[in-house]
Amino acid sequence: MTNASGVEEQTLTLPSEQEVEKLRAAEATWSLSFTLNGESVELMVDPTETLYDTLRERLRLIGTKGACLEGECGSCTVLLDGKPVTACLVTSPQVQGRTVVTVEGLAKDDRLHPVQESFIACGAVQCGYCTPGLIVSAAALLAHNSTPSVEEVREALEGNLCRCTGYTKIIDAVLEAAGDEPAVMSVGGEK
Amino acid sequence: MSSGPPIRRRPTGPVRPGQQPQVNVIGRSIRRFDGKGKVTGETPFGGDLAGPEAYTALVIRSPHPHCEIEDVELAAARAIPGVVAIFTGDDIGGTNRHGLIRRDQEVFSRRARFMGDCLGLIVAATPKIAQRALEAVKVSYKELPIVATMDDALAEGSYPLHETGNVLSTELIRRGDADSALAESDVVVNTETRTQCVDHAFLDREAGMAYMEDGVVTIYASGQWIHEERRLVALALGLPQERVRIIQPATGGAFGGREDISIQIYLGLAALKLDHPVRIEYTREESMIARHKRHPIRIEYTLGATREGVLTAAKVRILSDEGAYASTGPAVLRKAVSHCTGPYRVPNIHADGVAVFTNNNPTGAMRGFGACQLAIAYESAIVELSRVLKIDVVELKRINLLDDGEGVTTDQKIPVVGVRDCMEAALRRIGWDKRSYETPAPHLRRGYGVSTICFGVGYGDGFPDASRARVRMADDGVVEVFTGGVDFGQGLHSLAAQIAAKELGVDPLAVRVVASDTHRTPESGSSSATRQTVFTGNAVRLAASEVAGQLLDVAAAYTGLHWDDLELRGNAIAAKHDIAGHEDRTVVLPLRQAVRLGRERGYALDVESCFKPRTVAKQKGTGKSPRAFITYMFASHVAEVLVDIETGEVKVARIVAAHDVGKAINPQQVEGQIEGGVVQGLGMALMEEVVSEGGFMKNASFTDYIIPTIVDTPTIEALVIERDDPEGPYGARGVGEPGLIGTPPAILGAIADAIGTQVHETPANAERVWKAIKRSERAGDGASA
Repeated sequence: MTNASGVEEQTLTLPSEQEVEKLRAAEATWSLSFTLNGESVELMVDPTETLYDTLRERLRLIGTKGACLEGECGSCTVLLDGKPVTACLVTSPQVQGRTVVTVEGLAKDDRLHPVQESFIACGAVQCGYCTPGLIVSAAALLAHNSTPSVEEVREALEGNLCRCTGYTKIIDAVLEAAGDEPAVMSVGGEK
Repeated sequence: MSSGPPIRRRPTGPVRPGQQPQVNVIGRSIRRFDGKGKVTGETPFGGDLAGPEAYTALVIRSPHPHCEIEDVELAAARAIPGVVAIFTGDDIGGTNRHGLIRRDQEVFSRRARFMGDCLGLIVAATPKIAQRALEAVKVSYKELPIVATMDDALAEGSYPLHETGNVLSTELIRRGDADSALAESDVVVNTETRTQCVDHAFLDREAGMAYMEDGVVTIYASGQWIHEERRLVALALGLPQERVRIIQPATGGAFGGREDISIQIYLGLAALKLDHPVRIEYTREESMIARHKRHPIRIEYTLGATREGVLTAAKVRILSDEGAYASTGPAVLRKAVSHCTGPYRVPNIHADGVAVFTNNNPTGAMRGFGACQLAIAYESAIVELSRVLKIDVVELKRINLLDDGEGVTTDQKIPVVGVRDCMEAALRRIGWDKRSYETPAPHLRRGYGVSTICFGVGYGDGFPDASRARVRMADDGVVEVFTGGVDFGQGLHSLAAQIAAKELGVDPLAVRVVASDTHRTPESGSSSATRQTVFTGNAVRLAASEVAGQLLDVAAAYTGLHWDDLELRGNAIAAKHDIAGHEDRTVVLPLRQAVRLGRERGYALDVESCFKPRTVAKQKGTGKSPRAFITYMFASHVAEVLVDIETGEVKVARIVAAHDVGKAINPQQVEGQIEGGVVQGLGMALMEEVVSEGGFMKNASFTDYIIPTIVDTPTIEALVIERDDPEGPYGARGVGEPGLIGTPPAILGAIADAIGTQVHETPANAERVWKAIKRSERAGDGASA
């Protein structure tokens, strides 16, 4: 078949769903089990894929964002055994048997974590792309330091880039949350 | 002397849900309604939409900054199991072109003019397979001479990048007789400023999906003007516009970087050809290589003054690097030239601007375009003049800043010029008269800089710029606002809700906003040029107040009261004041009931309005215009820095940013815009620079392209000045861009104050500051020797 300009057109035969499923299954050869947001999960993954991809592509937890995927932006920050890590630099087999908390695990029974609440109240959210990573980092800070100074907030959030807010209202929000109900600061997963 | 306009002081503090006001919603920091979904991570962005069934598309890009493509060998890639299709220019039905001002960029290029040019599109079952296919593609090409710099582009016999040659556009301003005025001036200073190429570095990489629905190509992608993007997609693909639908998901920043087409045409083509969901997500490297950037501009500035410091004339030559394609270049050059004397009274101006093509990244829109580069140049000339005249820079500004009713560069007379109010407020906040030069260590120097800037709002220059909005009462009594304007984080949709709530007397958070969908929402123009608060804000206000008028008529007919005795408040129509039978301003009709009654009586309660203020095209031969822009923003920043004279490192200790926004409809959001702009300006002043060598971008990653972190950033002190704009909604005149524009000149001025000499090239990174210190030391030695 040729098109109007006389060029041979490629024959577009779409692969069947079964074929696509087979191709996908061929990539996922590793059986992974870990604790995610308080629940045990077990699934097949590609052993070379990152925790970022497993969370987003296989478990459809879209709150973990990725602006750079090379550990510079902090948008994909999650808690691994209670400590903040960038999910793009962790391969999924590394979390075998361990505990992961994502931004989706911070709100309890529809009650927002105090940091989530204060980010909205203080105007620390603009585009929102960096927000989940910042909230996870801030929650981790407040879990072990309920009265941080401004400099301690800066130090804890240094790995999280934000391009919209100018950071001023983010610092306001973390300090505001620190003044709030320290009893509910547990983020889970600490060892 | 009056105490000046009111200043709103930080902090506005957190807003708690119980504090949502029912009345006087204008001027209150209403919570943004998209906050909850963003803090929980539930809100989907472009890369979050596609399910596992969607195919993955990947762009084949040029191997070289300037080449004729001889062959793209696809057989090996096509043979890989799971590769669904590979599209090239032979597969596209329309013009195969795009571009905002000139349609000069091919979707699939036969001749690549920069590294981001696209040669083909791979579609595969999984991202991994698509990547394998990309690696199997072989491109053979003939290298063409690379035009790497502006000087190369203008050199005799330079290789023409486009049929029209290497000059994209020229601009000028002629006012009075600058040459004679300079000859007669007591003092004349000359500066040369070089600004760098900057990346938007929004965090949400270009990502989206598309599918076919009832024969309509449905594209989820983030742009800045969905209706224009639909026109461009339809043209490129050869489809009627109604067969293309663009829906904007939540968008992680834009700053001008989403004005040019990115993934929309690729997604549309693949969905159309395959009738199957397709996704695209750029890597960070691809995002930085493919996207347009901020124009690097070289500015030669000659400024004359009397002995007393009164400015007499400016002569300005501007040369702008367009990169490979026109993008918004001509508008950027016009903005640069039309803002070349900033907020100063300069009776004689002679300015020329030239924009030239090179094989670098195309340059286009970025926050403050044109105006921000020129602000660095005119403020540098003012600092130089202050040094030569030995007049304090603030005094020099006080002598020369515009007053109400005076003309800016284009000779447009501005009724409300808030620049003096901004500067005096910023100086008071920083404690200018008592500023200290003490430092904690002998190798540190402290310095202070003051900027005063202006910015024309909207597209201007006669462009038919308009926003439409629709407001409707739903049957359940809920107010619905429809706008095609996109929100990439700045808060436009919350602002639209707030304005409708004000007019209709409801809780802003109860307003339903339907936005950014070419099939459901009216065209609200581009979210750029600091225009949406004024344009879409006014359109929403017009539509909502018309609906409010209809509701009052319904209630008047129902109650027998005069409509003028009634008002909308608290989800009801109520008496404005005590009326017989309605003592204590009682409710006369709940809103839901008024809607039902209105519908029964034939009221649509559904109004679309348009705000389309006219501007006037520039005069040929002079570049002047009585109304180049609908209104002007003014701002003044004061920066305090510490410079390490041994390393050249600069630490910004404080920034105060005072902006006359007319009226802050939502003060918290206004502060957020100023604070965010300031930090982008800090990045431009001190660290950000796209490095290209021979057309190859060298730092396309967040590891190598450095943007400010929270540790680089001081607490920003935003001061909101409110001098009503005559035409803005509730007096508002916008806020988006000036926060960036005011920052680099304030920081550069502070560095000069600290080290006694100016850095004329941005970014003023440690190396450039250190070299300036050494140069000045040598010059000082020479003078004393």
